[in-house]
Amino acid sequence: MGAGEYWNPKTETLGRDELVALQLAKLRRLCDWAAARSPFYQRSFKQAGFEPDQLRSLDDLRRLPMLTREQWMASQGERPPFGLLPVAGREAAIRWHTTSGTTGREPIRVLDTAKDWAWQAEMWCYGLWGFGVRPADTAYVAFGYGSFIGFWGLHYGMEKMGVLNIPGGAQTTEGRVKQIADFGATVVASTPTYALRLAQEAERLGVDLAAGPVQKLILSGEPAGSIPQTKALIERLWGATAGDTAGMTEIGTIMIFECRHQPGGTHIIEDHYIEEVVDPASGEPVGYGEPGERVVTSFGRGIIPLLRYRTADLVAKVPASRCSCGRGFDLYEGGILGRVDDMKLVRGTNVYPRAVEGIVREFDHVEEFQLRLTREGHFDRIALRVEPSPGLADAEWEDMAGRLAKALAEAHEGLRFEVERAAEGELPRFELKARRTVDKRDTPIGG
Amino acid sequence: MATTDLLGRPTTEVEDELLALYGRCKALLERDDLDPCVRAGARAATVGLWNAVNDLALEHEQLLDLGA
Repeated sequence: MGAGEYWNPKTETLGRDELVALQLAKLRRLCDWAAARSPFYQRSFKQAGFEPDQLRSLDDLRRLPMLTREQWMASQGERPPFGLLPVAGREAAIRWHTTSGTTGREPIRVLDTAKDWAWQAEMWCYGLWGFGVRPADTAYVAFGYGSFIGFWGLHYGMEKMGVLNIPGGAQTTEGRVKQIADFGATVVASTPTYALRLAQEAERLGVDLAAGPVQKLILSGEPAGSIPQTKALIERLWGATAGDTAGMTEIGTIMIFECRHQPGGTHIIEDHYIEEVVDPASGEPVGYGEPGERVVTSFGRGIIPLLRYRTADLVAKVPASRCSCGRGFDLYEGGILGRVDDMKLVRGTNVYPRAVEGIVREFDHVEEFQLRLTREGHFDRIALRVEPSPGLADAEWEDMAGRLAKALAEAHEGLRFEVERAAEGELPRFELKARRTVDKRDTPIGG
Repeated sequence: MATTDLLGRPTTEVEDELLALYGRCKALLERDDLDPCVRAGARAATVGLWNAVNDLALEHEQLLDLGA
């Protein structure tokens, strides 16, 4: 590979042993920092009988207790508003962000210092450069620029790389499509769902995106960026290549990215993170290729040290050799596969929303869809509500619905999905994280 | 004096230059007689260099006590 392939050739091409040695060196410093400054870790280290000088190899990482979201939330309740994890108060920070709140729970509140914020942009630079974005590009960021951290880091990463950046906040979808065309954007950043929404709107406006200058889409915020059928649809509608990334508010930025070789997975930025994959039930590590829960240790955000945080993301790690790009960074095959609690049990059959989306996206004329689970007496009912393209004739709909029901049943041990036609504009649209699964089985009647 | 990175490798000429600049920026930030415009500029420069120093595995430290 040429020197221009990597943002940081020195560490991106390290071998496994050297990467592990670097991670251990950083981990020791991080643990010293947390033990000295964070009330949360002072308490949890003491309870676990852990002291930083016990770290002699990376295997000793498992001496540290894992941190859960519930513990973080309880900590926020114990010492509002930021909890006991931070090593300093708001006076030391320049940014305050929160989780997206899509789950309806109280959000996690995070702070960043000037150094932390600059590091977050740096992580995006690894991913953007790795996917082939270059200073000559013009990037359009289709993002609302609110308190959710979302693409904030990408914006600053683009600036740092010298990319001409267009912040697409406070716009209608129509306005964004027009700006993308008018400004001649070569790169567009959005969620996968919103990339589809933009394409639908472009078609309505008569804008031929596939014939336009957009060459790359940077996707984030949803697992769909690595669902092959969804990604193929996005790439076809835009006439561009789509690169998946994933991050989280708890670390402030991305931790994985797809390189331009598109190996069917996302590289872990292993010089800045330790990513463990564990059995969600036992907490024991699982091997390469086995699905498990992501547990992240981040060397970046200093004001909130993050050690062994249980993310509830479902992933399967594979070795770096699976990609031809020459990086030493391992990958998550298929990106983020979903959440460990995503799976729905319907009449004895496991239903994964990711798998359902993969089937739905193979069909043309799907404008939007929703998976709806209800209970009638003791009987679980699963319905796929589909909003087809405007003007789809009844006969075409009947044919599509029949084929969809058949494909879904065949993929789910014969489970019968009721495929229903939703009215135009009936189903919700999403700019950030889409929530297409509605499980009403435990909701009281009328709820 | 020869220096090494976090992996024990000898540093390159560019890395030595980078470390020297980073050290000077930190030293400047430690002064208590900086006007606001100087402090802000020095902080931005330090943070920018920190990223390069950190990426190249030359140093891994926190800057909170320097106001960054």
